[in-house]
Amino acid sequence: MKKISILLVSAFLLFQSCTKVDENIYDKYAATDFYSSPTGSDVALAGVYAQVAGNWGGVGYAGADNGWYDLNCMSSDEQVVPHRNTGDWQLDFAQLYKHEWLPTHSIVGNTWNWLYKSIFTANLAVEQLTNANAEPSKIAEAKVLRAFFYYLLIDDYGSVPFYTENNITIENLPQKSRKEVFDFVVRELTENVVKLSATKGGQYYGRFNKWAGYALLAKVYLNAEVFSGTPMWNECLAACNKVSEGGFSLHPGAANASSPLGYQYFELFGDVSPADETILSIYTRVDIVGRNIYGVRNLLGPHANALFGVSGWNGTVTHRNYIEKFDNNDIRKKQFVWGQQPGGVNYSLDIASLDNPGADREAGARNMKFYMAAPLNGGGASNDFPIYRYADILLMKAECNVRLGNAAAAKPFIDQVRIRAGLAGLAASPTLDDVYNERGFELTFEGHRRQDMIRFDKFLLAHDFTPATAAFRKIYPIPTFALNANKNLKQNPGYQ
Amino acid sequence: MKLKRMLRAMLLSMLFLAAFQQMMAQNRTIRGSVSDEKNNPVAGASITIKGSSAGTAADSSGNFLLIVPASAKALAISSVGYNNQEINIGSKTTLSIVLIPPSQALTDVVVVGYGTARKKDLTGAVSTISNKDLNPGPVTSPLQQIAGKAAGVNVIQVGSEPGSAPGVRIRGITSLVGGSDPLVVVDGVQGNMDLFRQVPPTEIESVDVLKDASATAIYGSRGAPGVIIVTTKKNRAGRSTVEFNTTASVDMIRKKLDVLNAEEWWQQAQKYNVPASENHASNTDMFDILTLDGFTQNHAIAFGGGAEKFNYRASVAAILQKGIVINSNFKNYIGRIQATQKALDDKLTLTMNLNSNISNTIGSPASVGRAAFTSNLISNAYVARPTDPVFNADGTYFTDPNVFQYINPYAVSQEVSNESGANNLFGSLRADVDVLKGLTASWFGSWRKTNAYAGYYLPAISTVSTAIDNKGIANISNNRAEERLMDISLNYKKTFRHHRIEALALYEYQTQVYQGNFAQAKGFINDITTFNALQNGDLSKVTPGDVSSYKNDRNLVSFLGRINYSFSDRYLVTASLRRDGASVLGVNNKWGNFPSASVAWRLSQESFMEHQKIFSDLKLRVGYGVTGNQQGLYPQNSTQLVGSAGVTYFGGSQITNFIITQNANSDLKWETRKQANIGLDFAIMNNSLSGSVDVFKATTSNLLFNYSVPQPPYPYGSILANVGRLLNEGVELSLNYRAIKGKDITLTLSGNVSFLRNRVLELSGSINGVPLNTDYVGWGSNSYLIKGMAIGTFNVLQHQGINGVGEQTVVDKNKDGVIDQGNQSPDRYIAGSSVPKYTYAFTPYFSYKNFDASMLWRGSGGNKLYNDLRSNLSRFENLGKSNVLTSAIPLGLFTTKYGSDLWLENGAFLRFDNLNIGYRFNTKNSKYIEALRVSLTGNNLAVITRYTGIDPELGGGYGSAGDNGIYPRTRSIAAGLNVIFK
Repeated sequence: MKKISILLVSAFLLFQSCTKVDENIYDKYAATDFYSSPTGSDVALAGVYAQVAGNWGGVGYAGADNGWYDLNCMSSDEQVVPHRNTGDWQLDFAQLYKHEWLPTHSIVGNTWNWLYKSIFTANLAVEQLTNANAEPSKIAEAKVLRAFFYYLLIDDYGSVPFYTENNITIENLPQKSRKEVFDFVVRELTENVVKLSATKGGQYYGRFNKWAGYALLAKVYLNAEVFSGTPMWNECLAACNKVSEGGFSLHPGAANASSPLGYQYFELFGDVSPADETILSIYTRVDIVGRNIYGVRNLLGPHANALFGVSGWNGTVTHRNYIEKFDNNDIRKKQFVWGQQPGGVNYSLDIASLDNPGADREAGARNMKFYMAAPLNGGGASNDFPIYRYADILLMKAECNVRLGNAAAAKPFIDQVRIRAGLAGLAASPTLDDVYNERGFELTFEGHRRQDMIRFDKFLLAHDFTPATAAFRKIYPIPTFALNANKNLKQNPGYQ
Repeated sequence: MKLKRMLRAMLLSMLFLAAFQQMMAQNRTIRGSVSDEKNNPVAGASITIKGSSAGTAADSSGNFLLIVPASAKALAISSVGYNNQEINIGSKTTLSIVLIPPSQALTDVVVVGYGTARKKDLTGAVSTISNKDLNPGPVTSPLQQIAGKAAGVNVIQVGSEPGSAPGVRIRGITSLVGGSDPLVVVDGVQGNMDLFRQVPPTEIESVDVLKDASATAIYGSRGAPGVIIVTTKKNRAGRSTVEFNTTASVDMIRKKLDVLNAEEWWQQAQKYNVPASENHASNTDMFDILTLDGFTQNHAIAFGGGAEKFNYRASVAAILQKGIVINSNFKNYIGRIQATQKALDDKLTLTMNLNSNISNTIGSPASVGRAAFTSNLISNAYVARPTDPVFNADGTYFTDPNVFQYINPYAVSQEVSNESGANNLFGSLRADVDVLKGLTASWFGSWRKTNAYAGYYLPAISTVSTAIDNKGIANISNNRAEERLMDISLNYKKTFRHHRIEALALYEYQTQVYQGNFAQAKGFINDITTFNALQNGDLSKVTPGDVSSYKNDRNLVSFLGRINYSFSDRYLVTASLRRDGASVLGVNNKWGNFPSASVAWRLSQESFMEHQKIFSDLKLRVGYGVTGNQQGLYPQNSTQLVGSAGVTYFGGSQITNFIITQNANSDLKWETRKQANIGLDFAIMNNSLSGSVDVFKATTSNLLFNYSVPQPPYPYGSILANVGRLLNEGVELSLNYRAIKGKDITLTLSGNVSFLRNRVLELSGSINGVPLNTDYVGWGSNSYLIKGMAIGTFNVLQHQGINGVGEQTVVDKNKDGVIDQGNQSPDRYIAGSSVPKYTYAFTPYFSYKNFDASMLWRGSGGNKLYNDLRSNLSRFENLGKSNVLTSAIPLGLFTTKYGSDLWLENGAFLRFDNLNIGYRFNTKNSKYIEALRVSLTGNNLAVITRYTGIDPELGGGYGSAGDNGIYPRTRSIAAGLNVIFK
């Protein structure tokens, strides 16, 4: 009996020491510990920039596919990936181009997810930097980034859920009107852009310095009428002038044998964005930081293989109506190629169909603006992507002046851009259509076209394969899954 | 001191031995044979002298020789599956003993959790398959041996890729993400399905499947999906054996898809305006080039022996499989040794097990192809245009740069290195001490180590475009796991008058550690070193994800108690309670309780049943229990964590990017499964017809799933939480009918059928005040999780026709002029589920003199399958770059925007899975051979189905049955030899 009691007692003691079921973490950091360290807060800010580079899965501003860039380019008249009669390519892009998207459209959903994850990341950075008493310029930078994402959100989706602190319940997450969010963005930018660093390049390459901040503010003002009903051309002009204080100039456009496509102009879209003209760009190094697929996606296999040694995707084409607007002397027209190409490829300028039976394998002109920069592979190249550059600011100045009735004042701005492209200045003071067309020539494939078409009232007009469409298409639907997950959300008009 | 005592013990035993030899002189020898009622020898039957522990065992011919002292009066003869028998020996020197299985179904000993029970005492739903009922023939996994043998246990083999093990579902899909794989227990060692790899198929004594919660609750939080207990063969005391088993089979392709040949392709190509430039003027049957007859061998040698207090058994087995796709094979070598020693005046029993396996797989790549079609290598053979040559004129592999990501399947099969392997080890030690009469204290410890590696090299010459881009990609991964288990238990047994009581108290501690690493290099100047020298790659090409490692661990602490009580062998009660604490759960919910209770009533023992002649046995069982599930959870799910996510550019340089990798949920808790079971075991017509019926209803609540949360404010669209509920209910019936039982001839007809109804009861609710609205979650091709419907319910557009330009039209169900393909689109309709509603098997057995034959027919139905592969190979728009099925010609489809029910097919099938014919040689006069049996086995001989794909057995048991091309399921013919040496 004594033996048993000893056994029981020792067993009991053993139980005491062996009832621990705590969790050990070996290969990750607990979020609370991680962000409270000084490096943690810096990393939080860097993490927001990681959201900007484009990558697989429809994430990022530009560089990859099925995300924000495609949503805002394919629905315009500048580019589309047609379904091919060889069975290649899904119909998503043709649906965008023809304005047939539904609330279940995958790219509409991807962009929403990307933007809200970005806002979560920016909120986190603001919170962590504030807690860590970081330099005011860094806190301001995180806030400007957050304003950037909200601006992109209202541009695409209109009235959207709004929050600035991550620790929030869904009842405290109202869907704010487009105007309310617009007002927030303006307020946040006017308060914080002044605090940003004025340094260009180096540490600030690919980041929001003061000049990039003003460029963003100018963009927001430029579209104020669309967002809030009230135009703000003077404010836009003022913000553009602030950008000019940064000392930017147009990159030369001259012919140069060692430049992509034979012109210095195309260095703007190369591996490193030139400092003279670029205000903000996305640093890209394929497979390491994002990717740029806007070369490889367009070209047919043997063509890409002959030029770059990789297999092209035979995707994006541009309609001949768009290309034929370019003057033949315009060096910017060189970005489009058709006819006989290296690798024995012969692209036709005409496209018979975008869906059924689909375009022929070699149908459609291809864009080579982002002439693949090394390192490169079949998954893309390393061209940095310009978000804002000085030519855009000049054209915005021109537009504001025209809209304010100072067409004559607008002329020098637009002429600078034309002359750099190898053209003569305009014969007369620019009209709104002149500005619109010039924006098309200068900024093709850079993510501005949908916004421009809407602001210039061109978006709903019939063109090419696209019929005239109803006004509700100027805003995208809120994705179905977002509505399902949050019953407080209201769908945009026209999509119910 | 110690030494002195040992010396004395040795001296004493020597004296004892001497005395024993002296006594021999006064003994006499009894020769005898043990056979069953059919005159088959009962090998291994134990023969002991009544009133002593001395005895022997019958050899494989049923013969024995026993030296008995003059004082001996009677012998006790016993064997598993037969009634114990006592025989007075009087002055006889030869005996012929016939053992009788009194009621075949209700007498066996059944292994239940942490112990054994007599089958007649069982109160829960347990299926037992003893080694003589295991499916014969070439098997590469023990699961194949129990396919079709137990009602409600569905073994699913998808394809015959070398080394690919089947999956199993016990009473349906019990969890969505928490894991539906049963717990596997091999001789007390608990583990996952990989444990089967370490068991030589020929060394299995019995397999017990615990199905209902009153049986599985003893395994608490690991028992929810059911438990499979494997008991391996042990040697009997006083008997030596050397046994050799070998099986060799030729494996053939049973079915391949019918695609166009070169001539037909060109005919159609002209019709669909495919340019002549796409015709490369060859005539290639790529499928034929990539396939050949496979060859599977199983060899096993086992030997063992024993003395009165000691026995051991050791075996080595080899499973060697050469696949039907070129360059695919699998080798698995298993060694095990098992020993038992008694000591301390037989009060202490020590049992040791050591089990090791080394396996190696050369696989054909599992995922290759073009962006438009990615599948395993062999399915790419269907895609290849029959007019494409394999080689260019200069001897290089043919490839077509005009086709995006073109691959030459033959080049892939020849040039890609894809090797994986594992070496696993488990050992256990068990000590049982008889403390008092009826009270046993036990300690059990087991340690399992697994080491798996994989190497992959994709050279540029393979024609795969990513390999060309990167000039070769090589990677190696290593994964290690350590699983340790220790338990301490007290077991008490007492019988007084009509009462029998058995109680168990147990403490268990389990800890598991998982570690691994992965490394990859790209850019090789040549392909000589494949994945063996990553440093030969271009190190400037290293990208995020090329190097990684991980480590995590988990532990589980359990206290459990169980009481079995029976009164007059008539009324039986079992109750158990287990309390588990698991580290992987949220801080607020670490512990859970898992109770169960069951009762059984043996009506046939009642006095009022005494005079009836119909029922020879009748037992009613009712049970209820709660089990949990946490094993499917990965560690660290409950906390918000930060991990690296590639590289970002900041501050003028590339730096590591960190992100929050998951939403936090500190309330993460057990998934609980409550199951009620009512069963009836019966034997009628003098035991010639016996069987069981079970009805069960199981609800999984706190269902673990990645529920949709609103984004914003969550950074991810889903969170792992316990919200929903899942229902499985069903009826199982198994029957065994001894139709003929003569002296030379027997015919037994057995079979089982189970019906299963599965429902997703709830997917919504709230977590931390956030309302969750999860529904219509994609679960495979056009199949979904929908509240109120079965898992994997097809919600699909309805095919209408094909219009004049060859485009598919579908029914606009809500007539709004728009076809919406969203998950919840009103244009979709419910078209059945991928989960079979019924499964059944028929297993007749026949023997005549030395011949025996058995069959296994099994099938399932009531489900649909989505034939993705047919959809891919039926559109003529693809003709310019790939081949199509012959069946595409009458269909005439050029293109489609939709995934529709055009590709949805009936998944019912009946498979003639096994036919085995054996002959046992008469070895009475052989000096060396005790038994010799040869056999011929056919596997997968025929499949009756309307499914047009390669094989209707798909999906691996998760309820998502899309067919994107599988490794073919082979038909095999095997010859087998079983020899037992003297």
